[in-house]
Amino acid sequence: MAVLTSLAEAITANVGDGDMVALEGFTHLIPFAAGHEIVRQGRQDLTLVRMTPDVLYDQLIGMGVAARLVFSWGGNPGVGSLHRFRDAVEHGWPRPLQLEEHSHAGMANRYVAGASGLPFAVLRGYVGTDLVDHTANVAPLACPFTGERLTAVAALRPDVTVIHAQQADRAGNVQLWGICGVQKEAVLAARRAVVTVEEVVEELQPRPGAIVLPGWVLSAVAEVPGGAQPSYAQDYSTRDNAFYEAWDVISRDRDTFLGWMRTHVLDLVPSTT
Amino acid sequence: MTTTTAARADVCAVAVAEAFRGDGEILANPIGTIPMVGGRLARATFEPDLQMTDGEAALIANDEAFEWPGGKVVELWNPYRSMFDIVWGGKRHVMMGATQVDQYGNQNIAAIGEYAKPKTQLLGYRGAPGNTVNNTTSYWVPSHSPQVLCAKVDTVTGVGYDRAAQLKGRTAEFHEIRRVITNLAVLDFETPDHRMRIRSVHPGVTTAEVQEATGFELVIPADVPTSRLPDDEELRLLYEVIDPKGLRLKEVPEA
Repeated sequence: MAVLTSLAEAITANVGDGDMVALEGFTHLIPFAAGHEIVRQGRQDLTLVRMTPDVLYDQLIGMGVAARLVFSWGGNPGVGSLHRFRDAVEHGWPRPLQLEEHSHAGMANRYVAGASGLPFAVLRGYVGTDLVDHTANVAPLACPFTGERLTAVAALRPDVTVIHAQQADRAGNVQLWGICGVQKEAVLAARRAVVTVEEVVEELQPRPGAIVLPGWVLSAVAEVPGGAQPSYAQDYSTRDNAFYEAWDVISRDRDTFLGWMRTHVLDLVPSTT
Repeated sequence: MTTTTAARADVCAVAVAEAFRGDGEILANPIGTIPMVGGRLARATFEPDLQMTDGEAALIANDEAFEWPGGKVVELWNPYRSMFDIVWGGKRHVMMGATQVDQYGNQNIAAIGEYAKPKTQLLGYRGAPGNTVNNTTSYWVPSHSPQVLCAKVDTVTGVGYDRAAQLKGRTAEFHEIRRVITNLAVLDFETPDHRMRIRSVHPGVTTAEVQEATGFELVIPADVPTSRLPDDEELRLLYEVIDPKGLRLKEVPEA
């Protein structure tokens, strides 16, 4: 049952050291504020999971909160490389980062298996590539009906999934819309789920194509207006494209990066609403 | 428009368009500046049924590749979570980049050097392992060099013909690496053992120069044609409609 609480309390109660944490959201609704709170609270040794790690994960990795990353694409969308991610993989700074790599479809199917209570998912992709040798959670499988060689991917069961959405009602039911990724599956696969929302409303209005997550599959809901910036929340805010370009410069240098994080994340007192 | 002569980037765009010839009503998914221009060019001329994205979450009918001053003509809402509905049906031809590609079309976009401790960590495997076994794939190489077209890729993200030959069933049926298009030439795998061959060279480029810029031995037919030039209508579309700001000319500058 979801409790309506503050962001700080939601993270304190649900994200622990060493946890497997998935922060999902695609193009918009990326839970930056929640990720920043994880940094402020000094979480360590996390296994970070995300289909498409972008600037938020660059920040988390650069601050040394992660020991492992499970992913399928890592970049600054429309700009280029993630310099903190590359520094961690190539030079072990600020700490070595172990990688577990999948394809997009592999990651999506791993969440579906987790959400379905199944031990693995099956897909046709991966055959012929080198990923089967690199990744313990990818294994060849023979179809029991035709004998065709397929690939099994182990279910993903994050300790906690964190997402951002547009609205919740006072009972903790959540609605998100616009470009949706795997938020639904990632929440249903997780043991605990934290949602930040733009706004708490009296009643959720039906919207075409929206996803509704009932309060009983969530752990905590916190009202954090602008919690997806510099990404955006459709119908609430616009994407700060200039920031994504600026990040390329900020993140190239270790000291510049640390200075930026100090000013914009560590020294900020989180909202207590 | 009669004074406009074709730039190398225009020849590349036409070569991309030609790669989609005959595809009909499928999702044409060219990724990169010149691929996006070339795909639009194919649809605006000889492949009107191609379905194309705006790079975000919709399939749109516009001829413009990058900016839509008159608004987008949306044909289908197709966000990330719906993408696999189309991909796994096989009705798709993707053209993507390759940091490395070998003589059988094995592609690497994940990491340079030893996988466990890469010299350069790239963007990752992304959709490549599904692309090459579920639908037709082509590659776009804006800067042809022996480092990119190399003897052996450091890790296989997209499956080439030698590896696909060991696969069976639907996977083998759907596997096709149709073209590798570069700033120097058009290459394909239409040889008995599916080794890469020169299909055409761009105007002003020799087969010897293409071989020199390639890290393995290419199949070079006795008679290699020159890549097709855009006709007047194609030039008009390129310069006035599809890419009026000339972004493609920055991706492939004049030789």
